[in-house]
Amino acid sequence: MSTPPLRRGTRIGTQWLSFRFDGRSYPAQAGDTAASALLANGVRLMGRSVKYRRRRGLLGAGPEEPNALFNVGEQPQLIPNVQATLLLLREGMSLASQNRWPSLRVDLASLLQAGGGLFSAGFYYKTFIWPSWRTYESLIRRLAGLGAAPLDCALPHVAIEHLACDVLVTGAGPAGLAAARAAARAGARVVICESEPVCGGELEFEGGHIDGQTAAAWLVRTLAELESLGARILTSTTVITDNGGEFIAHAEPGGLPGHNTMYRIRPRAMVLAAGALERPIVFCNNDRPGVMLLGAAERYLTRYGTQVGRELVLFANHDRVYASAQRLAAGGMAVRAIVDTRGADALMTGSAAHVLRDSLVAAGVECLAAHAVISANGGSGVRAVRVAPLHGGPPRKIRCDTILVSGGWSPALHGGFHGGAARAYAPPLDSFVAATSTETRRHAGSANGCLELGAALADGHAAGARAAADAKATGHAGVAPQGNGDPSPRLQAFARSPAAPAAERRQFIDLQNDVTVADLRVALAEGFSDIEHVKRYTTLGIGTEQGRSSAVLGAAVLAELKGESLAAVGVSRSRPPYQPVTLRSIAGFHVGDAVMVSRRTPLNDWHVAHGGMLEPMGLWMRPRYYSANGANPFDAAIAEARQVRTAGGIVDGSTLGKLEVAGPDAAAFLDFIYLSKASTMRVGRSKYMVNLREDGMVLDDGLVLRLADDRFLATTGSGHGTHMLSHFEHYRALHWSGRGVTVTDVTEAWAVIVAAGPRCRDALLQVLDTAWQAPIGRLGHMDFADGSHAGQALRVLRASFSGELAFELHCRPAGAVALWEALLAAGLAAYGLEAVDILRVEKGYLTGSELNGQTTPFDLGMAALVKQGNDCLGRALLDRPAFHEATRPRLVGLRACDGRSRFLAGAQLTTAAAPDRPQGFVTSSVYSPTLDQWLGLALLARNQAEGTQLMARDPLRGSDVAVHVVAPVHFDPASERMKG
Amino acid sequence: MRQLPCPFCGARELREFVFHKTLPAAASATADASADEFARTYLRVADPQLSVEHWQHVHGCRAWLLVRRNPSTGAVLAVQMLSGTAP
Amino acid sequence: MSALPASARHYSAWSLLRARFAGSGYWRPLWAGRKLKPAYDVVIVGAGGHGLASAFHLARDQGMRRIAVLEKRLVGYGNVGRNTTIVRSNYLLPENHYFYEDSLRRWETLSHDLNYNVMYSPRGVVDLALTDDSMLALARRGNAMRLAGIDAELLDLAALERFAPELEARRKRRFPIVGALLQRRGGTVRHDAVAWGYARAASALGVDIIEDCEVTGVRTAGNAATGVESTRGYVQADRVVFATAGHTGMIGAMLGTPLPIETHLLQAMVSEPIKPLINSVYVYVSPGHGETYICQSDRGGLVMGGHLDGFPSYTREGVWHRLEDVVQGALELFPRIGGVKILRQWAGTNDMTMDGSPIMDRLRYDNVFVNAGWCYGGFKAIPASGAAFAKFVASGTAPDLIRAYRLSRFASGHLLDEPGQGPFPVRL
Repeated sequence: MSTPPLRRGTRIGTQWLSFRFDGRSYPAQAGDTAASALLANGVRLMGRSVKYRRRRGLLGAGPEEPNALFNVGEQPQLIPNVQATLLLLREGMSLASQNRWPSLRVDLASLLQAGGGLFSAGFYYKTFIWPSWRTYESLIRRLAGLGAAPLDCALPHVAIEHLACDVLVTGAGPAGLAAARAAARAGARVVICESEPVCGGELEFEGGHIDGQTAAAWLVRTLAELESLGARILTSTTVITDNGGEFIAHAEPGGLPGHNTMYRIRPRAMVLAAGALERPIVFCNNDRPGVMLLGAAERYLTRYGTQVGRELVLFANHDRVYASAQRLAAGGMAVRAIVDTRGADALMTGSAAHVLRDSLVAAGVECLAAHAVISANGGSGVRAVRVAPLHGGPPRKIRCDTILVSGGWSPALHGGFHGGAARAYAPPLDSFVAATSTETRRHAGSANGCLELGAALADGHAAGARAAADAKATGHAGVAPQGNGDPSPRLQAFARSPAAPAAERRQFIDLQNDVTVADLRVALAEGFSDIEHVKRYTTLGIGTEQGRSSAVLGAAVLAELKGESLAAVGVSRSRPPYQPVTLRSIAGFHVGDAVMVSRRTPLNDWHVAHGGMLEPMGLWMRPRYYSANGANPFDAAIAEARQVRTAGGIVDGSTLGKLEVAGPDAAAFLDFIYLSKASTMRVGRSKYMVNLREDGMVLDDGLVLRLADDRFLATTGSGHGTHMLSHFEHYRALHWSGRGVTVTDVTEAWAVIVAAGPRCRDALLQVLDTAWQAPIGRLGHMDFADGSHAGQALRVLRASFSGELAFELHCRPAGAVALWEALLAAGLAAYGLEAVDILRVEKGYLTGSELNGQTTPFDLGMAALVKQGNDCLGRALLDRPAFHEATRPRLVGLRACDGRSRFLAGAQLTTAAAPDRPQGFVTSSVYSPTLDQWLGLALLARNQAEGTQLMARDPLRGSDVAVHVVAPVHFDPASERMKG
Repeated sequence: MRQLPCPFCGARELREFVFHKTLPAAASATADASADEFARTYLRVADPQLSVEHWQHVHGCRAWLLVRRNPSTGAVLAVQMLSGTAP
Repeated sequence: MSALPASARHYSAWSLLRARFAGSGYWRPLWAGRKLKPAYDVVIVGAGGHGLASAFHLARDQGMRRIAVLEKRLVGYGNVGRNTTIVRSNYLLPENHYFYEDSLRRWETLSHDLNYNVMYSPRGVVDLALTDDSMLALARRGNAMRLAGIDAELLDLAALERFAPELEARRKRRFPIVGALLQRRGGTVRHDAVAWGYARAASALGVDIIEDCEVTGVRTAGNAATGVESTRGYVQADRVVFATAGHTGMIGAMLGTPLPIETHLLQAMVSEPIKPLINSVYVYVSPGHGETYICQSDRGGLVMGGHLDGFPSYTREGVWHRLEDVVQGALELFPRIGGVKILRQWAGTNDMTMDGSPIMDRLRYDNVFVNAGWCYGGFKAIPASGAAFAKFVASGTAPDLIRAYRLSRFASGHLLDEPGQGPFPVRL
């Protein structure tokens, strides 16, 4: 590889590096973007369009680029759709063009464009109807899409930074810098977000003078001053959306996800000075490689020393083209012609542009007035241009390899941050500016329609000074900078060159989506005339460049076709983010293991060390079973349940929610919350209670313990703790604020170990400190008392959800492992949640799936509790007639008729008479080692009596099992074991 | 509206709060015990200019708040501590 | 069979070929250009999916002649063009799954019925389970569907890996995937095409679709409405239908009838296009950030949505942290898409009812009807809603298919609370 001559530019160094594009190696200089380096290497063909797969080259030099999108890196770590114009090259980087097969130069799907006119707007809605869309869909899906689908992603975490400031300035061009300087001088804390890696904006190439210095010198001095005043300048950072006064900005240095930062910036006032977007002019074959924006050519030259072509034709509708032409010519490119759509009288005699034109003419540049570029010639790159007088006359050909277009500038309104705020048409720009500035948001500079350097500086300064005042900064903003640069454009609206109807199919407005003037005509003919409808119907402006190059242009062409003004047509509403942002950046650090916290019980490490197989329950991790007890959950759970029934076991119940309710009104409060009364309980007693949602459905169940006259402990389901806490707090605030009730979450203050089984009392007494053995030995069912183990205080509650004699031990977390191990040493064995389910279902206790938010207390067999007449929350709406119909469910037990078949939770229950009409469903089912058969609980229509035979239908899992309805309590119905 | 002014904590990020329910527009800070429970639970009077709501500063001081907002603009009109009389 | 009379252009590859040579003048407006008349048999307020489908079926099936659809802004500018395009009938409650299955069957043939390609793509809707308990809840739902004759399959981990290799079901995750409920006939439909296809078909049948026409009031006499006031003047109407989605609460207020509806925002977003990666629709509810659903459009964009923003709003401006939640969920499912960029984010206003199911009933007056409360699931309901509601409006009697969606169910207790969430659109 021979080294080409060194280029010089503001953004490149002298160090060489090499990169690969479509498998071929190229040299680049440090600081080059993929675009500038490829151009410098003479590569013009960089992509294919979506619909017609037409050959495309660079249009722009920044985020407006619709064509040159690359896959960067190799699978599996590949990043698709990276704009070549933003991608900073690094040594060895590998890039590939997209959306072509087998190669960029030869693409089979490009044959589609032969049928150009067929694929007009609405094509897909009109075809592929027979036999069905599905027939064609997979082929069409493969043709569509842009970049490759990544196979993996190993991007590092994204930094998140919160900033508060007085004034946020978006854009560090002349207006933004003037605004920031004014605000900072006035004493405001300023943050500046600049999308480019360096500040300066147009100053970088436009030149000009400010306050008697060169623009470049002023830039250096101003940046130094801003730094000294404490302003924070964030480069490569784009404000992507307005989150209601908090601005989300995204930094992606180098144009490739990697070391990204998401900023959340909350300013008191804001100056939007993000500049203006140059728009092209539409002509036939204006999508050929070699047709570029005029401003892009200047950027490539200044920043990278890259010449976009050798022989240029410039096509514009304003004065600025002459200054650009002179700079490009000075940069070594041959300007063959300047095609100005305006009449010869458009250039005011003696004006700077006029003088420039005369000197260009003198240098041999052909300057055509009232002319337009009609079409570009050349397939894979421009070879010539056809120009014609606008008021009649034959076209003629001018040889060139590059056409530089400029149709004016559209202020970058960052529509996303306005929530669709109104725009106003600005005739001098033939575009839109913000209709109103609010106290906290001001547009400035070219974003506000001030395209001239002097005006932009003044506008920026004024906006910055006022923003600082709005943010209550009291200092003096100083005097506005005085500047002069390129003249006012004095543009005359011109959006597209005349064309024969057939040629309109090759007049491209949206390059990425291949939206042409012909498409707009079709849309109009079909009645899609509102700009929002046209956008949706033709896909105008929905590409990855967020409509930067096509939104206003498309509206202008639509206006022409409709015979209306651009002001009347308007532009479509833009959607955030203003710059596409990777999912990884949005997710922040909440990915992988960090996606959500894990809640672990004090016994967690013991479980893990002893084969406990953890399962998430909400955010909690709980052991399902212990691997030592069986190879799979089913076998292990049977062994564990059998152990509890025959000897005894312990299970970690620490995930239970625990709310302490205290104060003189605590009992009255709980009477309101729960279906049955807490106020009638004596101290030292516990009660199983349920509470209702506002609509009468059962919300949660648990034990309530009266710790003292004015103190209760309410336990909640493991998954309901946080919900119940808020629920309690809500009604405490609503009805008891300022009165004597407090609600405190003590879930994590107490570990809970449940010991159950015939030998659990013996084991417990062995473990308790001696003084407590006698009182605990006498403890009655549902009573609780204090105790201690190894000097650590315990609360011992005799309550059972297994049907066995059982104790709930509440201890401090620090003592949990010691207590647990002592109980094991005393002969009990650990069991997990699968075994808990077996024990509960055997005994007919609710397992949780019956509390599904769809069941009333009547449905769950709690009619007696309702009848006690406690006027609790949710009670009033329980009287609705539907809740008392015979088809409402009730809780029943199920057994297989043959005594051995398996039936599963989730099976639907049907009668022989109506095999397709479920009468209920199995809420839980277990294999009972005690009864050696499958047992179930079900919610079943009340009119299906006990003894009825039903089918448990389970087509999903392949079995239908005959079952009969029994009482829900399968085991020890008299509860002799647990009360004994 | 991306912040709510909590009477305890000052202006805090919206993500710290959770919305729970709206009240009939006419309802005041005091829950009207005599109001029909059904209407209170189910019916809403849609007022595009005013929504009266219960929120909790759940990832903050956990206070329950009575919030008045304009749901058409997102503007927060008033925030106070939720309070009322016994049911 | 196409429902269209000869005045409309029949769409086919042949018509495209003819247009290729005849030029854009070949095409006819789909619905535009009608003048508002002073009186109609039925005035439908709202040219969204439900309003347009109702108009189409009133004209085609019920023989009604004089029908107008009045639209405040543009055809299809509301939720029909803002949703995540998912269609399915995998509901638990019989009242819901029979209704949505009727809809899904209509989706299967809708492109033919309308002679408009709505791109029904039965790529499968996969509801993922993260715990054994949620697997059992999915089994309950799937079995109920199967008994009703609706396709449903329960996939264990191995079956899920086979059906959805892109999911890497066994990959280590903070919340491991356990299995899934699959409805193969579920999938996606091109949303805008639904609005445009119905509008075109209704217009061809003589329905006047009037855009930029906001209804500001209802004139009544006794128990009946006599017409509506609009920004284009008074329009007499024998029957008035409101299909105004997120603005239904305001209609209730206009008529002095509080409704069990709150309006909430729901966000959606789409990524830049990439080559095919996600081949089905995935629905994922994690304990951390709630719901995420994700699919890939035929253009290649990854389409994502989640749960409500969480408070009543008419602003259509989504809050950023909800978007983060959805994206975090999406990355939990598909870590490989971390380098793919989000292109656009938007929001729609959702008419959330107090049990999560819709309302199709009379509203205060004998001849005023409301079709609303579609929560965040209205798109998939459009074909069934239009057909059944048209029958209701024309005959005055609600067909069996939608009888359960009556307004009185909240007072009577015949609630249709599919998730068991109670009268709260947002879970506490």
